[in-house]
Amino acid sequence: MNEDFLKCRDCVDLLLDYIDGNLPEEMEEQLDEHFEACPPCKNFLNSYKTSTEMMHKLDRRNVQVPNELQGRLKAFLRDNI
Amino acid sequence: MESDELLAGLKQRDAEAVDQLILQYSRPLFGVILNYTKNPSDTEEVLQDTLLKIVRKIDTFRAESDIWPWMKRIAINNAIMWLRKHRSKREHETQLEDGYPQYTKDGMIQYPVFGWSVDPEEVALNSELSDQLHDAIQSLPYGYRVPLVLRDVEGYSIKQISSLLTLKEATTKTRIHRARLFVREKLSNYLNGAS
Repeated sequence: MNEDFLKCRDCVDLLLDYIDGNLPEEMEEQLDEHFEACPPCKNFLNSYKTSTEMMHKLDRRNVQVPNELQGRLKAFLRDNI
Repeated sequence: MESDELLAGLKQRDAEAVDQLILQYSRPLFGVILNYTKNPSDTEEVLQDTLLKIVRKIDTFRAESDIWPWMKRIAINNAIMWLRKHRSKREHETQLEDGYPQYTKDGMIQYPVFGWSVDPEEVALNSELSDQLHDAIQSLPYGYRVPLVLRDVEGYSIKQISSLLTLKEATTKTRIHRARLFVREKLSNYLNGAS
C-alpha cells in the first residue's frame, strides 16, 4: 500500500459517511482502494455494515412484557380518558 | 376489530376500542419504548402516557395512512421527553471509547480482525443473536444509545435525529459511529466465541 494513502485509522473514522455514500468521490475511491488492499480493514468494514444491517432487522415487537400489563393499562386509560 | 372500526371507536372514546388498542398495540409499543428507557417499569410509565396521547390525539391522525408509524412516532417522542427529564447529566456526558480496533503506531490495524459469516437476516430468526444485539445496544450510555436506535433501528435521518435531540449533526454522527463500533465489538466477541 502506498504510504501517502489513507491509514486504517482514517478509514475506520470515515466508515459512517462511507456506507451512507456521503464522501466526495475521490475520497470514496481512496477508501475502496484501501479496503481492497487491506484484509483487516475489509473485515472490519463488513462486520460494521453487518451489525448496522442487523439493527435495521431487530424486531422487538414480540418482547416479553410484565405480567398483568394490559390489565393495568386498561385501568389507567379508563380513569384518565 | 378492523382498523377502520378501531379508529372510529377511538374517536368515540369507546371502551371496547380502547381495550382493542391495548390488546393489539401495547406489546409492540412496549418493545419500541424499551429501547430508550431500558427498564420495564419506566417503559410501562412511558407506555401509559403514550396510549393516553394516542387516544387524545386520534382526531389528528390522517385516516388514509398506516396507524402504526404514527403511534410509534408518538411513543418515540414520549420516550425521548421522558429521558430528558430522568437521565442524569453524567450519563449524558459519558464518553465511549470502546470498539476501536487496535492500531499500530502508524495507524494501521493490528491483526486479527475476524470476518463474520452471519447473514443480517438471521437476527430476525435467531433469538440468541437478537438478544445479544439488544443487550449490546442496551449497555450503551444514553447519549450514544438514543441516536443509534433512532438511526439504525428506526431509520431516522441524521438531520431528524439532530433536530429531535438538539445536537449538532457532526455530534450526532460521531455518537452513532462510536455506538456502532461498540455494538460491532460486542457482537464480534459473541460471534467469535470470546464472551
